[in-house]
Amino acid sequence: MIKTLKKYFLLYLAMFKASFIADLEYRANFFSRILTDVFWYIAQIITFEVLYQHTEKIGDWNVKEMRVFLGLLFVIDAFYMIIIHENLENITEKVRKGDLDLLLAKPVNSQFMLTLQKANTAIFGNLLLGSSWLIYSLMGLEGFNYARLLWLIILFPCSLIVIYSMRFMFSASAVIFTRSENLQFLWWQVYRLGMRPDSMYTPYVKYVLLTLIPVGVIVSIPARALLNPPNLTYLLWPLILVPLLLYGTHRFWNFALKFYSSASS
Amino acid sequence: MKNVIETHDLQRIYQTYQKPEGLVNSIKGIWERKYDSKIALDKTSIKIEAGKIIGLVGANGAGKTTLLKILSGLVTPSSGDASVLGYRPWERKNDFLRQMSILLGQKNQLWWDISPLDSYALLARIYDLDVTHARKKVDELASVLDCKHVLNTQLRRLSLGERMKMEIIGALLHEPKILFLDEPTIGLDIVAQENIRHFLAKYVSEKEPTVILTSHYMDDIATLADSLLLISKGKIVYQGTVEQFTNNTNSELAHDEKVDFEEVIRRFLETESRVR
Amino acid sequence: MLTTGIEILLWVAVFKGAKSATIAGFSEANYLSYALWSAFFARIATSWMYEFKMVEEVSSGSINSIIVRPMSFYEYYLSQLMGYKVVTTFISLIIPIAAVFIFDLPTDLSRLPLATLLCFYYLFLVHTISFIISTMAFHFTKISSLTVAKNLFMWILMGELFPLDLLPEPYKTWVISLPFASGTFTPVAYITGRIGLQTVIEGFMSVTIGLVVLNLIGAYLWRRGLNTYVGTGA
Repeated sequence: MIKTLKKYFLLYLAMFKASFIADLEYRANFFSRILTDVFWYIAQIITFEVLYQHTEKIGDWNVKEMRVFLGLLFVIDAFYMIIIHENLENITEKVRKGDLDLLLAKPVNSQFMLTLQKANTAIFGNLLLGSSWLIYSLMGLEGFNYARLLWLIILFPCSLIVIYSMRFMFSASAVIFTRSENLQFLWWQVYRLGMRPDSMYTPYVKYVLLTLIPVGVIVSIPARALLNPPNLTYLLWPLILVPLLLYGTHRFWNFALKFYSSASS
Repeated sequence: MKNVIETHDLQRIYQTYQKPEGLVNSIKGIWERKYDSKIALDKTSIKIEAGKIIGLVGANGAGKTTLLKILSGLVTPSSGDASVLGYRPWERKNDFLRQMSILLGQKNQLWWDISPLDSYALLARIYDLDVTHARKKVDELASVLDCKHVLNTQLRRLSLGERMKMEIIGALLHEPKILFLDEPTIGLDIVAQENIRHFLAKYVSEKEPTVILTSHYMDDIATLADSLLLISKGKIVYQGTVEQFTNNTNSELAHDEKVDFEEVIRRFLETESRVR
Repeated sequence: MLTTGIEILLWVAVFKGAKSATIAGFSEANYLSYALWSAFFARIATSWMYEFKMVEEVSSGSINSIIVRPMSFYEYYLSQLMGYKVVTTFISLIIPIAAVFIFDLPTDLSRLPLATLLCFYYLFLVHTISFIISTMAFHFTKISSLTVAKNLFMWILMGELFPLDLLPEPYKTWVISLPFASGTFTPVAYITGRIGLQTVIEGFMSVTIGLVVLNLIGAYLWRRGLNTYVGTGA
């Protein structure tokens, strides 16, 4: 067991290194990604700053707390873009070009390879930007208990797995239905639901967003960990949800593969 | 000699949706779909001995790639059974995958933007290979293939011939017992083709893996193959050596064997297409 | 549609947190109406599909057809764009109008034609900008990120995120006077009664100025791009 974990860990490091070497070729990408995402960050920040000119609270939080929420959103999204995004985007193409076959012929877990093969190291600039905003927003909170940041060690990976699991369900269906552009668009809409604090939604919707379609877990729960006094129901829920989601993706992937190898010729 | 590959009544049928003609039928097709059954591979039973090179020949769509994909575990058969190195290929057990290698002629398994050496480092991790040993192997293989000078250049900067050589090294790195080669020389110039043929012949005589080779270049088959599997419309229509095949079908002519073989195959394929 | 729902929920939450029943003088229902209509208008005013095609054509270098009739490149895609937009606008108009009646949202439907006209007039500007971007394809190979950045930038200034008149001065006057506001804010604010005819007229004027300036720039860049292209050979 330990041996397998070690193998996959070292394999991931090797793939990350290879990704970095490959990305060095395209240095312009680093800057163009920052350029595009900077506008997105600005749009989110300005929207809330303007809204808060006219209201005290949105959901449970005031303007300073909302800035933290956005900071967390930026950082988590950057991690997702670096580690996972490019791989899931390319599933359709891999299936179409037959590259999936080459992956299946290797003695490693195909879901692992498919998910983590390429890291988009160019997005690192965005991670820096997002982290700066997060730190800036935390400094603006009076009496912030910095020990709370330790929660993020558990919660960040959980959030990433939640994004991954949900996105994976959408993307992996490309293995079954070869045309899935609409599904990608649908995913983006669903993901957006998680970009607003869960407390903003009506109770019924909020419940759904934390359980059935758990995009609400992605940013809202780490935000609660930092901003509210510890509420174990919220903070420990991801630990239950995450193994369930991972198991779900595992079963779904096996199903998709069976379909794939029975349908191709 | 031990049988490395055995199949019993291996069959692969798949459904294709019959696209209707015209507007009325297209509308009807929304709730009433007609399916066509296509037999890609029809009840095949073959036995292949260890250490042999088998040439798989047939027209496009005859079932070569299907057979190859079933034996390498990429496609699940509709019925029947197969055993490769003692495993059922489509169960894709890691122990099986570690001992086999598949080279698909037009596809790259190596990363496009990094050097072959960097890709091999990754492969070594995937196949749990000892790093120094792997490095040595790479050097050996690259010397024979005469491509050591480009090992450190990014894959996308290499010519097609050099890329193919790199792919071959990658496929042989983990010293597989079974090698599936699907069109390994496609698109290469004559010199590169011969290079690779010589290399494969030498490698097989030294390491004795079992090789299943498909190719549209009859020179590949004639030079390399010990046995011939001729497949037509999903059925194996001939199983035996290349010489026997040429002799059986062309007993009167006694010309140069290579030309004969190609002629004979061409006539065979022509009759095939006419009968369709 | 889902995103409109999110925006509406956001405004509901904003009002819950605010201490008064009005924000900047307008009721909650007014803002909900704004959110609804801004989604609709923003969809009309955004176009990247044809820009993508234009860039493709320039970078793939179907040079002969481009050199011979440069004006028709611009006009061809303009007519494609407008045709597409007119059709989709009419079809998608059903949803906001239905929502207005079902939920009784404050909307002055008599103002709708003029508002739509302004938005379509704004599309000419969008097209000119796309044209300018496509001239970049003469010089650079990968400009997709330029398109994305430009779209995001324009999106912020259009007013879909929030009514631009909520901005504090001096930003408020400045941003509203830019032609981009005519894409969403001005038409929608006009329909929901936030602004009057005066601002709409000013919108038409700023878009006109924008059109003149950008078309001049575009024509210049086009000629320069063609020269470079022909100079280096096909």
